[in-house]
Amino acid sequence: MVDALQEAQRILVDRGVFVDARPDSRVSARVRAKTPRGTVIGTIGTQRPTKTDDAMSDRAVRNVLRRKLFRSRRRGRLWHAIPFEDAGELNDYLTDHLRFSKRVQWLVPAARRRTPLFIERAVRFEILEKR
Amino acid sequence: MFPGGLGYLRPPAEIELGAYGLDLRGLRVADIGAGEGRLALGAAREAASVVAVDPDRGALARGRAEARRQRVSNVKFSEGAAQSLRLPDASFDVVIFSWTL
Repeated sequence: MVDALQEAQRILVDRGVFVDARPDSRVSARVRAKTPRGTVIGTIGTQRPTKTDDAMSDRAVRNVLRRKLFRSRRRGRLWHAIPFEDAGELNDYLTDHLRFSKRVQWLVPAARRRTPLFIERAVRFEILEKR
Repeated sequence: MFPGGLGYLRPPAEIELGAYGLDLRGLRVADIGAGEGRLALGAAREAASVVAVDPDRGALARGRAEARRQRVSNVKFSEGAAQSLRLPDASFDVVIFSWTL
């Protein structure tokens, strides 16, 4: 990972901008009912190996900042909604997912899951500048 | 409008690039780990030129096809890995790693 960041630094002009954007595994995804702004009826965590990978990515970014290859200009987060017909379709999606946990932590009984659903996931980004 | 976009497995390019708050007009952009060029094609609307790098030849081929379909001519799709880029030193104003690290 540090190798990749060093390569990014190499191909950038002086004071060029580097963007690192990734799903934010520190925040559970929310399952919302009916609309993207509907009631939160469940949450979805992140698989442990993915959390470990994300921590390694964070360490790599801290490494290049510490070595003064980059300076941090700004951090932010956006939210991304993914629609599903119902809980069955959502469960199928999670079966093969590489990041999300395989199961939803439901906050409501099954009868209240038979609606269109939306996963709302956090994506974090950091803008760095080549030093 | 929902702030992160709706209906896609990844945020639409205009939503994600808008969140970065960067003015790409006239700039040379490298999208590393570009896949099918979702962000690269979005960035190409403003940037002078975009190089989209990914190790997946199939994804690159789909990206090239989509660029032709959209009549986008300032994106170059190139096979490569983030750890050993075959790109010259100091040749880009902006480098994007989205879902890459």
